[in-house]
Amino acid sequence: MAKGEIVIDETICKGCGYCAEFCSRGCIEIPGDKFTAKGYLIPVFAHPEKCNACGVCAWMCPRFAIDVYKYVEATAK
Amino acid sequence: MNKKAEGPKKEKVVGTPALFVTEWWTQFLWDMYCPGCQTPLVGRLIAEAIEELGIGDRAIMVMGNGCHAYLAGGLDFDVTSGGHGRAPDIATAMKRVMPDGIVFTVQGDGDCVAIGADALIGALSRGEKITIIMVNNTNYGTTGGQMAPTTIVGQVTTTSPQGRNPDVEGYPTHAAELVATFRGVSYSARGSLHTTANYRRTKKYITTAFQRQAEGVGLSFVEVITACPPNWHMTPIESLAWIEEKAIPDFPLGEFKNVTHIE
Repeated sequence: MAKGEIVIDETICKGCGYCAEFCSRGCIEIPGDKFTAKGYLIPVFAHPEKCNACGVCAWMCPRFAIDVYKYVEATAK
Repeated sequence: MNKKAEGPKKEKVVGTPALFVTEWWTQFLWDMYCPGCQTPLVGRLIAEAIEELGIGDRAIMVMGNGCHAYLAGGLDFDVTSGGHGRAPDIATAMKRVMPDGIVFTVQGDGDCVAIGADALIGALSRGEKITIIMVNNTNYGTTGGQMAPTTIVGQVTTTSPQGRNPDVEGYPTHAAELVATFRGVSYSARGSLHTTANYRRTKKYITTAFQRQAEGVGLSFVEVITACPPNWHMTPIESLAWIEEKAIPDFPLGEFKNVTHIE
């Protein structure tokens, strides 16, 4: 069950692939046929259901292109 | 699953660091760094460490010359620039004029131990209470990948096309170990950013370095090994593996000096 989600800013991504390399759950993939306007390969948030919002992709991103959001449990009440 | 995705409450966990100037970064600075360059991560670690310690209002950053100097526009501190390699001298003057300030330099390997070695040694032997962050990518990245003092034996660069030959060009300089031998130094460490665990350790090193300066103990020094994929002629993922295989055996990671009091 998804515990969070990430948002990739495709205008500043440079396609280094560190996010896909360091995501231990394999949520992020680089398809190889999608490009930014400047021609860099962009990563895709391919498996949102596996994400647990650990934030490693955003730490390791040298462009600061990833924002990680964690779902707040509404059932606490 | 869809039910939750419709409108779950969410909070941001990790994003752009608070002390980064987002507009400047997204419009101009991001274009200056090559894909896979980890120098902006050093800026992120500095911003997060200073934010955690709550010393952002009295922090002054002194830049050297090199790729790391593009951080000057992206970080929301008071920033000035030294001559090539002379950042410790500028930082010395600022710290003496303003003893309450948190003065730190960000320098590359060519800036710190090649051209600025005299300024570095001078600041070390005086035991100035400043922080020096050295970004080590084992070559001169800005000018196209020439051999630097930190180039590893056998590494191919523009000016050592057969690999660095120790008979002719000598052996790499180990800055963190050199710094640790000086008496006025309170903290010296070397970190890397090629795995998540090392990222966390490096963040701890940088935070401790600023902590030592805030306590007024002595000079603190952190060397960070970063990837330079275009000049190493590798993909970013290959360059991380190269750091693990070649750079780490030559540049051991860890803390080399950590004292809270200097006799």
